[in-house]
Amino acid sequence: MNSLLKILKDFPAYLWSGWGAIASILLFIAFWDAGNQIYGDLVLPSPLETFKTLMSMLQDESVITEIKVTLYRASMGFGISLLFGSALGLIAGFFATASMMSRPIVTILVGMPPIAWIVLAMIWFGMGDETVIFTVVVASFPIIFVGALQGTRTLDGDLKEMADSFGLPWHMKFFDVYFPHIFSYVFPAWVSGLGMAWKIVIMAELLATSDGMGASLAVARSQLDTPTALALVVIMIGSLMFIEYIILEPIKREVELWRS
Amino acid sequence: MDKQMTEEKLHQEGGALHATNHYLYYPDEKDVPPYLAYGFRPVFLLLAPYLIISMLLWGMVWSGLISVPFMGDMLTWHVYEMLFGILTAGVMAFLTTGLPELFPGVVPFIGKRLKYVMMLWVAGRISFWTIDITGVYLTAVLNLAMLAWLIWFAKDVVLDRLQRHASLGYALVVIFMLEAWFFASQAGLALTPAMDILKIALGAHVVLILLAMRRVNMEAINELMEDKEIDDIYVARPPLTNLAVFSVIVFTVVEFFYPENSALGWLGLAAAAAILAITSDYNLKDKFLWDQPYVLYLATIFVLMSVGYGLMGWDLLNDDIYGINHFRHFITSGGYGLAYLMIMIVIGWIHTGRHLTSNIYTHLMVLLMIIATVMRGVIPFFEEYTSELYLYSSIVWTIPFMLYIKVFFPFLVAPRADGVQG
Repeated sequence: MNSLLKILKDFPAYLWSGWGAIASILLFIAFWDAGNQIYGDLVLPSPLETFKTLMSMLQDESVITEIKVTLYRASMGFGISLLFGSALGLIAGFFATASMMSRPIVTILVGMPPIAWIVLAMIWFGMGDETVIFTVVVASFPIIFVGALQGTRTLDGDLKEMADSFGLPWHMKFFDVYFPHIFSYVFPAWVSGLGMAWKIVIMAELLATSDGMGASLAVARSQLDTPTALALVVIMIGSLMFIEYIILEPIKREVELWRS
Repeated sequence: MDKQMTEEKLHQEGGALHATNHYLYYPDEKDVPPYLAYGFRPVFLLLAPYLIISMLLWGMVWSGLISVPFMGDMLTWHVYEMLFGILTAGVMAFLTTGLPELFPGVVPFIGKRLKYVMMLWVAGRISFWTIDITGVYLTAVLNLAMLAWLIWFAKDVVLDRLQRHASLGYALVVIFMLEAWFFASQAGLALTPAMDILKIALGAHVVLILLAMRRVNMEAINELMEDKEIDDIYVARPPLTNLAVFSVIVFTVVEFFYPENSALGWLGLAAAAAILAITSDYNLKDKFLWDQPYVLYLATIFVLMSVGYGLMGWDLLNDDIYGINHFRHFITSGGYGLAYLMIMIVIGWIHTGRHLTSNIYTHLMVLLMIIATVMRGVIPFFEEYTSELYLYSSIVWTIPFMLYIKVFFPFLVAPRADGVQG
């Protein structure tokens, strides 16, 4: 509760410190504009035109529906990875044998290119939600699993002993000794898992479905509609940045504060 | 050996910026009047009235009450004087006051020699107003000589082994070259339009102000916190200033080569965000500083400059509005003017041996400056009142300097309140 209050209290200052980041993004957009002037509208539409397209797209009901479809798939896939990745990772971390066993399997999962997973999923599940959700799970599960595993593996035995010798009740032991440590590993893993999920969902949709933002991107490509394609990219990047920097980063800072 | 030790010790403490630690040696010149006892005193005594008088003169020139043709190019020369004429005074005060503090080996510049340099500045101003009679070359020589002397005075900063404040020196050298280029253009020796050179010069001035304000901020805010017993340290982080400086330089260079380009619009917005980012330094980890008047005053400088670049960028991206040179006044009348005023106020308190105090006068000075700037900057939105806004904004802009005369002139002509020399 206290940390929640602290996150809220620090939030305005955190938000204000974003001006530097906004400045560098705007410098990048100026660079983009220069690229537009060199290569022309077909290859690279101007930022202004892209943002205008974006605005008109956001007022279009059908585009909103596509975004909702994509959101559903991404959150389902990410939710499943979050639940099972964290639970299994935490348990595996408690047992040396389990963590030893799981390591090579995780390497296989991480090492296999997502595009190959999509092909397999298309054969197994056909064209539809399941293919996309499966690919998202396969891509973000190992990241979260490893983070959770590290969290329990690296628990400080001395602290546990101290907690035991002081006879701490179980809930204090959990919330004050284990939880901050584990959470500081698991949470960043969630953040990177989410980023992965959001990228994979678009790719899977582009190849395996006829709806969602990925499919819209495929349509824009076939019609050589570069402004729409770029506007879609802006939506993807914008939403990812919003979730990561506005929602997750302040929590991450608070969670990792004790480390320094 | 002993002397070297103390010098080293003081050198280290020089970074701590204590109000009493202004210099290591004070020259033993006899019979120095208080108004020549330290570099900033004569500068402020002359600058405040000059700003008021020149505004009145400009008012009369623009309305045709007096006839000064300025070689048939009044607007360009108006911009020149508001930039370079005032810059030399401001830099003079900043360097002669700041250098002995930043580099404790530097001996304060006082007395007769100070008087001669100030006379050079005054001669530069007179030659400016009589340029149609005395000719552009005399104005050029006097004004360039003044800036050259300042660079000579600041040479230790550039040659400093650690290069702690060298950026200030380099910025001054660039400004000197721009001024020479401007005069060459006005004398027909260079082909670049004088106004384009002045726009680059404005960029260079903004860079210099950002660099100088980082130092002023550090001194003023930490002094303030020490005074109010706020147990924290304020650090103006160089990367933020550097990002702002970089953005402003890119904007300035691109504006020179491609003044109407849409990429320039985005660069304007980028410069706006980068300058605003500097204010995030005021968010300390534990303490809340935003209720301190001086934090608000100093932050306003960055806000006004940011608004200027932001509106200019927005203007360039928007086909329906043409007000870029009006919006530029948020940077000049606003950011630039307020930066001068704040330097005058902060030095006026601290270096006359007083506490950094805020009162109804300092509030009014800053507030009127903001009002005048907004009146001048929003002309494109209220075109039916253009002439009224021109007139009243320049009148309102001079009032802070009148208040300055009332509050600070008694301090400037009297010895330091704490009995320290200088």
